[in-house]
Amino acid sequence: MSSVGGKQAEAVPDKELLARHAQGDPHAFAELVQRHRDRMWAVALRTLGDPEEAADALQDAFLSAYRAVGRFRGEAAVTTWLHRIVINACLDRLRRQSIRPAVPMGDDATLDAVAPKNADPTALHEVALDVTDALRQLPAEQRAALILVDMMGYGVDDAARVLEVPTGTVKSRCARGRARLAPLLGHLRNRRDGTGVQRAEEGGGAV
Amino acid sequence: MTAAHLDYDTLADLAEGLLPDDRAASADAHLSGCAECRDRSAEIANVTRLLAEAPLPPMPAALASRIDHALAAEAATTGHDVISLESRRGRRRMRVLSAAAAAVVVVGGGALVGNALTNGSMSSDSGTAQSQPIQDRSGSAAAKQSGPGATMLNESRGGAAAAGGHLTLRSGTDYTATRLGEQVSVQLTKGDRRGAEAGMSTQLTNCVRTVAQGKSPLLVDVAMYEGRAATVIVLPGADSARLDVWIVGPACSASDPAVIKHTETAR
Repeated sequence: MSSVGGKQAEAVPDKELLARHAQGDPHAFAELVQRHRDRMWAVALRTLGDPEEAADALQDAFLSAYRAVGRFRGEAAVTTWLHRIVINACLDRLRRQSIRPAVPMGDDATLDAVAPKNADPTALHEVALDVTDALRQLPAEQRAALILVDMMGYGVDDAARVLEVPTGTVKSRCARGRARLAPLLGHLRNRRDGTGVQRAEEGGGAV
Repeated sequence: MTAAHLDYDTLADLAEGLLPDDRAASADAHLSGCAECRDRSAEIANVTRLLAEAPLPPMPAALASRIDHALAAEAATTGHDVISLESRRGRRRMRVLSAAAAAVVVVGGGALVGNALTNGSMSSDSGTAQSQPIQDRSGSAAAKQSGPGATMLNESRGGAAAAGGHLTLRSGTDYTATRLGEQVSVQLTKGDRRGAEAGMSTQLTNCVRTVAQGKSPLLVDVAMYEGRAATVIVLPGADSARLDVWIVGPACSASDPAVIKHTETAR
């Protein structure tokens, strides 16, 4: 997932930072976290749909990445590895949640966390909530695949590496997920035309 | 059209290239003559567009700092094999020094709250306490110096840190803006800790950790502010004459400290 890190023009590559962390550099891991935290937050928030849960999952994930540096395999991109840890932390939580009732959506905290403070407060706000809500209707595996591919813009190959499943499985999960979301999000279709809304983050882009 | 309409699954599979050639061909043929199915197909494409356009909020600052603290606490855990011995020694020296600074503030003021004192003897000989207790407790004080979060994080590993924890009060005080400094002083200097000692819920622990930003609180009082439920968190100020006072609402949590007021008072 070499292009996934996006626009880093800075000198030290992720792998080098991770190596420095393994050698005891106390700042290297913090730098790595800072570099990728927004992206990881977005993944966790979308996967879990609840900011408190997402925050806890993300903290768990970063801590376990911190400790598991020795298990990082050099052939993978660091972001692939980080995504995998974050998503697994989220899926673990979802599995535990499945034996409890889901957290109801629509409270202010969720709205605030999901929606941007700037531009187009009404439309984006609603869309964000609708999308989050709709995603929660999907089985976790479909949700994770769609978040990586459609939402974050990663290639199917990259998503397959993150999720450690074959490419065809990712495609199939994405297709099933879209099929399920289509009727749920249909009402957003026409209203969105001509609003000129852009993606909040450009970097997810093409792989 | 003669053929049956295509369902969402088929249309999604078609778009993703998952249909076998023969089925894809017949689906395409159907689509070319069926506006209804083209419409449904567009709905599927629209899902991708909506997901791509949904805003990706940046990580909230409070969470970023909470994670930084958790990682710092992890780094401070003794025996962590990632940190080299040498850098660990350096860190510990620094932590002992700053623990000393924090403890002097607390002990010097005669207050009985704060991390550094909770698992030591509650000795009242504050005159001699300034350096000696630090020596005695350097291990645990250092472990806790990375902030209240360290206590939680270290709990499962046992050791000195597990013995510590916040002394949290429920003094029942109704703090007010005009008398805040005075009221905080009263709680800080109250020798006999009149309020009931309160347990720390996970939420409150996370809240304090987020607010404290790695400092050791001098006082956490689950009380009132201007007649409403509020928690008063007092941290060491910028210098020894000041206190850094945060008043947060009952909803204070790691992701949202729900700050009602943040101010400095004279010690």
